[in-house]
Amino acid sequence: MMTKRIHIAFVLIAMHWLTGCVNTTIQEVREASTSLNSKESIVILSRKHKTSGETEDDFVGCVSNKTSGGEGALSVMSERDFMDELFPWFEPRTAPLNMRELTYVISRPLISEKIQAIGVRYLVWVEGTTERSEESGALQCTVVSGGIPACFGFLSWESGSDYEASVWDINRGITVGKVSSEASGTSIVPALVVPIPFIARVQNQACISLAEQLKTFIGT
Amino acid sequence: MERRQANLLLVLICVVNIHWVAGCSSDASVTITTNIPNPLIEQVPINVAIYYNDTMSQYVHSEDLGSYGNHTIDLRSQISVFNRIFDAMFKSITPVDSIDSAQGRSADAILAPSIEKFQFAIPEQTRKDFYEVWIQYRFELYGADGSLIHSWPVTAYGKANRLNYGGLQSEKSPALREAATWALRDAAASIAFSFARQDVVREWIQQRVAS
Repeated sequence: MMTKRIHIAFVLIAMHWLTGCVNTTIQEVREASTSLNSKESIVILSRKHKTSGETEDDFVGCVSNKTSGGEGALSVMSERDFMDELFPWFEPRTAPLNMRELTYVISRPLISEKIQAIGVRYLVWVEGTTERSEESGALQCTVVSGGIPACFGFLSWESGSDYEASVWDINRGITVGKVSSEASGTSIVPALVVPIPFIARVQNQACISLAEQLKTFIGT
Repeated sequence: MERRQANLLLVLICVVNIHWVAGCSSDASVTITTNIPNPLIEQVPINVAIYYNDTMSQYVHSEDLGSYGNHTIDLRSQISVFNRIFDAMFKSITPVDSIDSAQGRSADAILAPSIEKFQFAIPEQTRKDFYEVWIQYRFELYGADGSLIHSWPVTAYGKANRLNYGGLQSEKSPALREAATWALRDAAASIAFSFARQDVVREWIQQRVAS
């Protein structure tokens, strides 16, 4: 009896390891040097002017949290706080789309004084999404003899995250570089009476990778 | 014992299914209570009287979307949003009861915003991930003598991604509220930027300041 339980536990752990595997690719293009002193901070923003393909709020929140925590943490101002402080210049329809527009915005004394006061040095614009693809399989649930519900079948799908962060230096009015994070993985739900989902957390992995890379990119 | 647990599970599944089915026609009633942050804008050096008609100050949009349920959006807080942006835009503002009021005649101009159109969409209709709100306003600027100086439309748009709310029907109201909140912020931003960009208004301000 004990041996059987150990076997089942082993199989479950093995399956978790297999499905927990997510492939991540990080790329970095540096155009200028960066430095952040103890009084300066960064803000991580998403583009909201598009009608589709908008970066998820929880992804931006995740990158902000991970960048502001752990080893090499950076001081990060939240997206909403930054938008509120600089209202109405960074709203979905009014936010500068390129460095020329940013230079125009910060050339106004009201804006430059506010940015100076809140201490934000770098703007990190995140674009991208996580999408599901290649869904296959079927899963059916029914009530078997004795009134016990049971599910049988197998579901699987591919998930892919593709995000790019463009880093703008407000002080110098230049783009200092780009960091991108791609992650992909397969999720499966085998069901033999009880469905057991093994979800590949690609978005979470993309978030962790992007945050770590941003720490290295800006902090050094 | 096993049979009892199985029955409980079945009941649970039925409840979940009923929730899903009922969710397809769920109603939503939201009251927007937002205000905007302090705007960082340059002041136009004029004293302005503000007139809101009853439709604007009491605006509540109700719409029956058939199988998608009844939807009510209470937008009365738009008055406080507009007051805040006008307060930052102009040297002084004075609320007035009508365009012809005596208080209006002592100001440099009377500004009368009104709501022309209000539309919203939910993901079930559009097959997209967004709750969306569109508002079309009309702004009319009158001189102290009551003559119309200029009239122009201002559009506002706000959206909320259903995926930020777990994609559940029960999250319809918060998502719709968020979309309307962003629409009001957009309205405030649009009026702040559009006012002095109107050629007629800009020329009128220049003349007024010069005199």
